[in-house]
Amino acid sequence: MTETRPADSPIAVRATRLGRRFGERWAVRDMDLEVRRGEVLGLLGPNGAGKTTTVRMLTALIEPSEGTATVDGFDVRERSDDVRARVGILTETPGLYDKLSATANLDFFGRLYGLDAATRAERIGHYLRLFGLWDRRDDVAGTFSKGMKQKLAIARALLHDPAVVFLDEPTAALDPEAAFLVRESIETLRKAGRTIILATHNLDEADRLCDRIAFVRAGLVRIDTPAGLRGGVGTRRLTVRLASGPSKAILDAVRAMPGIDAVEAVDGVLRVGAADPESIAPSVVRTLVAAGGDVVEVRTEQASLERIYFEVMGVRPGADGMQAGD
Amino acid sequence: MRAGIIMTVLRREWFETVRNRLLMSTILLPPILLTVAPIALAGAVGSERLPPELATQVLSQRPEWAALTPGELAGAFAVQQFLVFFLLMPAYIPLSIATFSIIGEKQARSLEPVLAAPIRTSELLAGKAIAALVPGVLAGWATYVVFVLLASLVYGPALFGVVTDGSWLAGVFLLGPAVGLSSVVAGVIVSARVNDPRVAQQIGGVIIVPIVGLVLLQATGTLFLGPFGYAVLAVIILIISLVGLRIGVRLFDREAILTRWR
Repeated sequence: MTETRPADSPIAVRATRLGRRFGERWAVRDMDLEVRRGEVLGLLGPNGAGKTTTVRMLTALIEPSEGTATVDGFDVRERSDDVRARVGILTETPGLYDKLSATANLDFFGRLYGLDAATRAERIGHYLRLFGLWDRRDDVAGTFSKGMKQKLAIARALLHDPAVVFLDEPTAALDPEAAFLVRESIETLRKAGRTIILATHNLDEADRLCDRIAFVRAGLVRIDTPAGLRGGVGTRRLTVRLASGPSKAILDAVRAMPGIDAVEAVDGVLRVGAADPESIAPSVVRTLVAAGGDVVEVRTEQASLERIYFEVMGVRPGADGMQAGD
Repeated sequence: MRAGIIMTVLRREWFETVRNRLLMSTILLPPILLTVAPIALAGAVGSERLPPELATQVLSQRPEWAALTPGELAGAFAVQQFLVFFLLMPAYIPLSIATFSIIGEKQARSLEPVLAAPIRTSELLAGKAIAALVPGVLAGWATYVVFVLLASLVYGPALFGVVTDGSWLAGVFLLGPAVGLSSVVAGVIVSARVNDPRVAQQIGGVIIVPIVGLVLLQATGTLFLGPFGYAVLAVIILIISLVGLRIGVRLFDREAILTRWR
């Protein structure tokens, strides 16, 4: 049995060659993963990529077909009850009891997790206030909006103070306002130092909320920080707009600079490809001015997560996929 | 199994049941009708007599009724038919509650967060089964007690003796709970396979068919089951139910619910 004392390990979740087969089809295979305490890890992938299956294996809801995984030091297969007691999960749908009030919904789960009456009352009050549901605490969940239901479901996932929180598509099917409220809630948890695994196919959400992002498609394709992904995949460049468009002399002067990967002029705009556009920007501006160029605007550009996603997953992007940065 | 967890599930089930008006009406209406109808029927036939051939047949099976007057015999025969209806109550009420409960959770997708908690599926199933079984059995017993009180008040000791003899007591207090358990098991098995409570009740209602058969046999005077007959029947149904329960527990497996229930 793979087990370490939970408090001793900085690793909250560890999966080794984790796999799950349904019939002849492998939903996930050879998944190696480590999530540090206090980290927010995004599981990013298309529908059917195995995100939910991975979450279900790591929350001891279903057994792996092969490989091992520990959560807070407990093996998901051999200590499933302990794992379930230490994780909180927001499932794809809130799965609330519509005829029960917000308080009664949370109280039911507090009892299932073995919390005593005083702890239940204290935590229910805390989370209902944290997520702005206190004024509706006695209303039945069936009367709540989708966003409110999702927030109540997140409160339910946190009630027993889990070591790891799993959020499976937390903003799927929500309108922009509700999605914003839910992301704000997740941001609050992130700031509080919670260990969170966020399964999503929302690229922007993963980019904004996650410390690291794991691209998943029936297994782990690539894992890195958003900055690391941008550094390793796709082009980074400097875009310079000149008053009169770049001349051949200007192009030649920039091409002669060290640290420059590529230089091109597109619609009167100079594009300078470089591994670290920010550090070369001052010298590029000086070179341009020395060569007689009138600089109007300088911007660094980095590959969007969308473009990185397409490249990593081997899907051909339909658009340029570049976005402006500071 | 932990009693505290089962009680938690039980409390939530009952809390939701009493808030489901449709379910509550199907639970409460028939017991009210069943207490009034037999008494009214016995009153209506009180001045009538059974056809001589039927009276002879009935007395051959129930010689203890020989002391009854012809009017009392007709009333006793009429009231006797209602014993089977007291068996239908613990059959259909648990079936209704169990199917609404399980299919309701399927439709709301509320089982996954529950199964993600440190609860065993046997504890969840036990909570649901008890929550479905107890109201049906208690409704059957309570209705029977009211029925006996009304019968004795309205018609005196002759009919009181009829509705409290051994076969009634064995039927209501032994066979009733056994039928109730079989009904819960049918509800669990059928609900695991269908997504509409009404369809589940119709399929699960097959459990009631043998009981309707009893009604017909008793109505025609063909069969009178004595206390021993009811006790034997209760044991047989109990054994079948326990076998069915093993199937139900397997269908209620955590993985099956998450990956195959749609």
